Amino acid sequence: MNIAMMSQTLFYLIEQQPASQKAVDYLHQQVDLYHQNQQTSMFYRVFTAMPRFVGKQPIDVPADMAFTLERLRSGFQVKGWTMDRLARVWWLLQLPADNETTYVGTITQLFKAGELNELVALYSALPVLAFPEAWRFQATEGIRNNIADVQSAIMLHNPYPADYFDEAAWNQLVLKAFFTDKDVTQITGLDERKNARLAQTLADYAAERRAAGRTLPPNIERLLA
Amino acid sequence: MNFMDSIAGMSFFDMHVHMISRTTDDYQAMADAGVVAVVEPAFWMGQPRTGVDSFRDYFATLVGWERFRASQFGVRHYCTIGLNSKEANQEALAEQVMEILPLFIYKEGVVGIGEIGFDDQTRAEEKYYRAQLDLAKEASLPVQIHTPHRDKKKGTSRSMDIAIEHGLEPGMVIVDHNNEETVREVLDRGFWAGFTIYPFTKMGNERMVEVVKQYGPERIMINSAADWGVSDPLAVPKTAALMKQHGISGEAIKLVTFGNAITAFAQSGQLSLDDLLQPMSIDQSQRFNGSSVLRGGQAPRIDKEATIIK
Repeated sequence: MNIAMMSQTLFYLIEQQPASQKAVDYLHQQVDLYHQNQQTSMFYRVFTAMPRFVGKQPIDVPADMAFTLERLRSGFQVKGWTMDRLARVWWLLQLPADNETTYVGTITQLFKAGELNELVALYSALPVLAFPEAWRFQATEGIRNNIADVQSAIMLHNPYPADYFDEAAWNQLVLKAFFTDKDVTQITGLDERKNARLAQTLADYAAERRAAGRTLPPNIERLLA
Repeated sequence: MNFMDSIAGMSFFDMHVHMISRTTDDYQAMADAGVVAVVEPAFWMGQPRTGVDSFRDYFATLVGWERFRASQFGVRHYCTIGLNSKEANQEALAEQVMEILPLFIYKEGVVGIGEIGFDDQTRAEEKYYRAQLDLAKEASLPVQIHTPHRDKKKGTSRSMDIAIEHGLEPGMVIVDHNNEETVREVLDRGFWAGFTIYPFTKMGNERMVEVVKQYGPERIMINSAADWGVSDPLAVPKTAALMKQHGISGEAIKLVTFGNAITAFAQSGQLSLDDLLQPMSIDQSQRFNGSSVLRGGQAPRIDKEATIIK
């Protein structure tokens, strides 16, 4: 994926949002400052303080923009996002990707200190970050997270897991989605990554639900075959 | 009928409850319902810890402030110490935690290594599960195993296979969070079978009554696993009341809600029936490192019957 083009496209989408002039001015100003002097503390400040300056209203995603995003990064979509989430993902793409250790280390600190909405943005960004192989473990931590919105950010409408998870991690994602009442039909790559081990584990789960006198979650039969 | 009436005079041992997440009202209610002792297994916080110092402070709290807090309500507090399976996946941190575990597992009142086992059943989880089984063996401590929510049946079998591979006697291992699908194998192989009465995600207590009817009380024990989620710290006394209603004998109820857990954890040498039978004086004006459970101006022991809250 071309990070510069993705960054441009996301910024164009920010500009298209109604009443976004103040946010756009702010982001222009910040990115200029950051390019003059790439201080990590500034990178963190802008990421963290984002909602104060761009707001949290839901964004509109015109069909042509959705199409462009999909073409730049297969499976990547921003439908249903809020302005702060979009701006944060765009901001992450401003981090220089010339040194993998520095790049991964800098973003890992954001994950460690992240609150709910920051984590949602960070996991949403995984498909468009540099060094995609480096985020495998972090992505599984998102599945392990206990907060529904964070889980959804990595489990649903996110192409990263289907592209980079091994079978065990993938199966854990699908199982956890059933356990946490997610709409599994929103998992990107659900049918493509069907496998025999997952079917067996889900069959055991179905048996356990029946033994407990509980109903089966919707769509489970789709993966049993 | 109020469940409290049918269990008057009975004593309970909740062998898995995360009191650090509960309030003093819970301690009070548990004490009033006859819970005389608890085991608090080390677990995660609901979100990942990011440094070894968080683990150190948490373990120190379990053997320190939390035990003191329990004592202020007449509840004896024991704990099991370990690196939980979820956090075993952060390997660099897990290594650091393994280094400090020996500082805690030999402390007074630590009745086992726990809760350890599998969550996602990853390679890292297996590595630290095995390492902690070795630690338990070396320290001659019982092991409290958390069985996974997902892929439970296979995860439970695998946990037991590995414990045996590491030379642990099944009688030193409490396999927790069982259900109808796992209980037979756990009992057949000679392990202790813990059951967690936890709304919606684990066992309901009507199902628990059926399990005890079918398998009898030997080597079965129940707990609340109450924590920061929607859970019930009175699950053990309530289930005892329900068993009584359904005609399960007093002796069987006592084994499942009290006796078996004592027998299992007494193997640590850190707990005995005699200890539990000693009268415990409650003096809420006592202090722990200068701190009391009472805040400025509070009177010890709240009168639960009073409507007015001063």
